[in-house]
Amino acid sequence: MISLAGVTRSFHDGTQELPVLRGVDLEVAAGELVAVVGASGSGKSTLLYVAGALDAGFGGEVVVAGERLRGLSGVALATLRNRKIGFVFQAFNLVAGLSALDNVLLPELLRRGEPARRRALVPGALAALEQVGLGAKAHVRPALLSGGERQRVAVARALLARPPVLLADEPTGNLDAESGAAVIALFDGLRRDGTSVLVVTHEERVWRAATRVVTLVEGRLS
Amino acid sequence: MRLRALLAVALAHLGGDRRAALVDAAAAAIGAAALVLFVGLGLGVGEAARRMFPADARLVEVVPSNVGLGGLLGGGKLDDAALARLRALPGVQAAWPRQNLQVAVAAAEPPRGLEGAWPPGMTLQIPIVGIDPGLVAEDTRHGVPFLDPRGDEPIPVVLSRRLVEVYDKTIAPTWGVPGLPRGFEPVGLELPVRIGLSIVPGKSERLVLDGRMRLAGLSDRVPIYAMAVPLETVKRLHARYRRTDPGYGQVTLLAARPDDAPPIAAAARRMGFGVDQSERSTAERVGTVVTITTGALALLAALMTGLAALAIARSRAASVAARVKEIALLQALGATGGDVRAVVLIEALLLGGAGGLVGAGVGRAAGLVGDLVWRRVMPDFPYRPETFFSFPAWLLAAGFLVAAGAAVLGALGPATSAARVDPARALS
Repeated sequence: MISLAGVTRSFHDGTQELPVLRGVDLEVAAGELVAVVGASGSGKSTLLYVAGALDAGFGGEVVVAGERLRGLSGVALATLRNRKIGFVFQAFNLVAGLSALDNVLLPELLRRGEPARRRALVPGALAALEQVGLGAKAHVRPALLSGGERQRVAVARALLARPPVLLADEPTGNLDAESGAAVIALFDGLRRDGTSVLVVTHEERVWRAATRVVTLVEGRLS
Repeated sequence: MRLRALLAVALAHLGGDRRAALVDAAAAAIGAAALVLFVGLGLGVGEAARRMFPADARLVEVVPSNVGLGGLLGGGKLDDAALARLRALPGVQAAWPRQNLQVAVAAAEPPRGLEGAWPPGMTLQIPIVGIDPGLVAEDTRHGVPFLDPRGDEPIPVVLSRRLVEVYDKTIAPTWGVPGLPRGFEPVGLELPVRIGLSIVPGKSERLVLDGRMRLAGLSDRVPIYAMAVPLETVKRLHARYRRTDPGYGQVTLLAARPDDAPPIAAAARRMGFGVDQSERSTAERVGTVVTITTGALALLAALMTGLAALAIARSRAASVAARVKEIALLQALGATGGDVRAVVLIEALLLGGAGGLVGAGVGRAAGLVGDLVWRRVMPDFPYRPETFFSFPAWLLAAGFLVAAGAAVLGALGPATSAARVDPARALS
């Protein structure tokens, strides 16, 4: 489901080229939860953004959910993110002015070409919020949710969309033990349903739940 | 559906930063209010000025030459032959001669129905001018035919609208009599007159006839100093009192198009006649002043609207800079650069539209307040306008649309910046 072959990525700091990824090869199959660990600045987040079609300036080959990213237009990349990739970030997962329910619905409402009425989508979104234990807070704004609840809303968004790929960047970094465990359990559930889950983390509790752990050291997997 | 989603996101953004949204909407409202108020003022002043100084750009007033040279050139006297030559000039659509009555006419009794508006014992000397009915055809369609009467029928007269206004606002107060009742319809009013009677001792005619004059209409095309009667009536009275033909005091030429008027005036001068341009030049000067004033006010309004657009541009730019992470999140969820651009433009449209709506209303209300103050502060005078403002529907719509458009225009730059947000960098 996720395939990276010889992926490179470097940035300019104004005077010189700084390589961050130096030829990464990684395969994440359907039903697999792969944890990427590594020191700060090792390129974990960059790897995630490349795999998530958010960073197009890479070298090598990336195939996500059967789509080869190189050469795709901006609209095609956006469509891919919308339909086939779910994201859970460490801190910034929700649009502040929208309720939890609307945040869950957002990817569906942004979908191109397949008009769906909001009313028809709401039961599924409420069910997803129930599944993450937030059915009672469907109409609450993010500012009134705890960090763990916000992460779970982001997971509920993925539950509704059912993307074949879920990418998470330090999803439990700001959470207490109980909230973190809940999020990990949800990831595991998605994995069991066939989703390819790639998690960037430095937390032991996450990589203990992973089916495979890879370490990124100075831009290379070891 | 996607548009609804983008609209929901835009509304969420605005709701998340209500203070900035209010400031932006207020800026748009100020621009719209300035536009509506200032352009409304310019239009209102223009309408008031045109009521005060009516002028038809197609009319050319030809008068006998003041100097003997006119006679040498074959011009000078405005008689029927001259009238025919003037009528034959290229571009002339109609020629309407005037002739002053050489017989004194006086009124010693009030018009019927307006007895209270006539000082006791007053005798009024009335200058009379005979005019071609065609000159006032548009103003005499009220049931009283403007034709030389037969037998004892009253003589139809046309009065200057300005005379009525001056009487009501200046003469009546000076005489200490009430002005014309509000909504008074003067057409059909009859005034008993004595033809041949002069208030100057020794100047009355031997034959003094009792008659009546009946108002057939009000017009801007008759002089303020006289009552206008049909030209044939004047000619008939001249014959009755054995006056020699004095010729025409003035011929009004109607040009087919306004552009034809200057060459017609030049041709009339070449024929040895004079051209009275006093009213036209006054109207032109007033028109120029009104145009300049309206233009300056519109420019000021445009400047304020431009400043509003700049304020909105800066505010939207700051807003975009403050929420790059949220924009990146939208992109991660499937929004394209175009979607992000649309969200920012929708926000601007909502702010500008709301501001424009409020601003147009505020501008209109400010006009009402201005009129209220004006009516309380200023004394009555002829042609005192009831309002100095004019707010046609298109102006209110323009206030709304210009404010919304200026807001969208101001947001174009920030919207483009938002569309270019690099999600990977913003989320890092």
